[in-house]
Amino acid sequence: MCIRVPRPMPAPVDRRLVVVTGKGGTGKSTISAAVALAAARRGKKVLVCEVVAKERVADLFGRPPSGTEIRQLLPNLYSVHVRPREAMREYALMILKYETLYRLAFENAAARYFLTAAPSLAEIVMLGKVFWHAARETERGRLRWDMVVLDAPATGHGLTFLSVPEVFLRLVSEGPLARDMRLMQALLADPERCSICIVTLPEEMPANEAIELDRALRQRQFPAGPLFLNAAFESRFSPQEVASVTRGGPLLTAAGEAADNHESRAALCRHYEGVLRDTVPRRLVKVPFLFERNFGAQAIDKVSHAIEGAL
Amino acid sequence: MKPLEGRKIVCCVGSGGVGKTTTAAALALSAAMEGKRALVLTIDPARRLANSLGLKALGNAETLIDPSHLAEAKLTVRGEMWAMMLNLKRSWDELVRRNARTAEQAQAILDNKLYQTLSTAMAGSLEYIAMEKVLELYSSGRFDVVVLDTPPTSNALDFLHAPDRVLDVLDNNAMRIVLGPMLKAGRFGLRLLAAPSGLVLRTLARFTGSDFLRDLAAFMMAFEGMYEGFKERAANVKALLSSPQTGFVLVTSPNPLTTQEALFFHRALERDGIRTAAVVVNRVQRDPRRHGGPDNLAALREALQLAQIKDENRLAERLCETLTEQAILADLDRREVERLRDTLRGVPLFTVPRLRKDVHDLAGLWQIGEYLGGE
Repeated sequence: MCIRVPRPMPAPVDRRLVVVTGKGGTGKSTISAAVALAAARRGKKVLVCEVVAKERVADLFGRPPSGTEIRQLLPNLYSVHVRPREAMREYALMILKYETLYRLAFENAAARYFLTAAPSLAEIVMLGKVFWHAARETERGRLRWDMVVLDAPATGHGLTFLSVPEVFLRLVSEGPLARDMRLMQALLADPERCSICIVTLPEEMPANEAIELDRALRQRQFPAGPLFLNAAFESRFSPQEVASVTRGGPLLTAAGEAADNHESRAALCRHYEGVLRDTVPRRLVKVPFLFERNFGAQAIDKVSHAIEGAL
Repeated sequence: MKPLEGRKIVCCVGSGGVGKTTTAAALALSAAMEGKRALVLTIDPARRLANSLGLKALGNAETLIDPSHLAEAKLTVRGEMWAMMLNLKRSWDELVRRNARTAEQAQAILDNKLYQTLSTAMAGSLEYIAMEKVLELYSSGRFDVVVLDTPPTSNALDFLHAPDRVLDVLDNNAMRIVLGPMLKAGRFGLRLLAAPSGLVLRTLARFTGSDFLRDLAAFMMAFEGMYEGFKERAANVKALLSSPQTGFVLVTSPNPLTTQEALFFHRALERDGIRTAAVVVNRVQRDPRRHGGPDNLAALREALQLAQIKDENRLAERLCETLTEQAILADLDRREVERLRDTLRGVPLFTVPRLRKDVHDLAGLWQIGEYLGGE
């Protein structure tokens, strides 16, 4: 009989691809930027790939948008915006070799139709591009990036995004795209090289979506990374304190309301934290709410320190 | 809501998580209370709305909210309150069955691999079927107003251009020509074995293999003869979107990301010649400073002393910090609301304050409804 001793999984910071998913508006870009920053601080060379319509990460670091060219944001920290049209073109040219052939095949009405009908071709080429970055080597045969952080689209689309290889391979089994999708599928399923994180908020819909997303991801056996509970409020006043300040007369009306507001948000946060801990078998990492008039590099730095322990 | 008076169809649009479903339900409830037969059509699969309406679950059919349940919440509804949850796949299947010439044709489509992907995953497919359903409900004459809670992931363009996109997928001349030989083989009862020919087709086949192109040809063939019916429906859907009887309500939170999205939607509507009927900003932080009173540490200490509250465990400091934080939140929210107001000059704007709890019941919906009343 052979007893297999499970090897300890590498920490998320040591994996090649970290995917950050979650509902829209939960702070995926913030967490992506903070994960990248924490890794870069530890000496990793990190690339953040953004695949949504509008890139945000460079802006969070107070830098001009990177666009489709890789740009350095900080020492060891780079970002790139992966767009479907450019990714498609690059990809097609890689296979077809000739610009004229590309134009003929892809820049006509039939091909536009084909691009709509082919299952998520836009997502496929974008995911293919991210994969290309993650697998890219330098001339000396070493990996170009220690870590690639993928800031994935919002939940519904995010899950579709990660399932793209599977869906595509169901419909298409031959050709160069199918070959690449198989490699991508293997990387996404490998807990040694990949970690899929979820970002959520202490609110009903984001929490519910995180629960559903977690279930769907585990069903498909994607390697489970941490669950980030973003914008968390910690309790600060006892119920007696809130009651006495609230009853403390007109001079304390504002303070009483503020304390009461704070505690009601902390209570909601506690509630959803409990629900999430009960239903989502992942490491839960709380990211405190930041009261910033301008959310930028400083805020990202704070968040990166808050999550460091989880990486 | 005043700006919605006389509208038969209300579309609540905006990014996910801004309270669209709740706003849609609150608007329908207000209309019902005013004596209208109102229906809220939601896409939100969470049972939250069903629960808050006192139902176990919502199905793909219209359900009347029990008046006794409304009465329990101390709401006097002069009209009728209906709700329904759209099931994407089932609605598409129904649409195909209704439009197919024969049962065999319907089955051929339903079994097609590509149909299954396209009906559920294609951009705009959810939006299209939602509007199609609205059209159906509206034409039935059973409702005075239909409020649509649009899909959370949709962006403006998916929504407005959904009819065109769907039509384009069902019948695309260019693709028809390219697939020509494959389609012909199929029409004469031959199996679709013809290899992709022609340079374009052969090049495309290098990416996806020829099986996929065969599926595509089979898909187009299966729809043969149904196109005209679909075209007519889609034209009606399109006309309905831009009809003066339809009002678009932009729903947003004071978060800059979601207000940007709302503005984007507004501009997309404008380009299509549609005016935004109203904007709703949910969860706006109230400014505790509106009450006046001390907000610095020394003054807070003094106020505590006056009220004979012991300043234990740095209570004054904690209060001061909390006041400062909430003032920041209120300032940020105000800045965003003002920006919206400036940009959307002339569009009625409603704000709903951040409530202490999530809205879970009819009373909560009515509370929201009151913030949306009048102008």
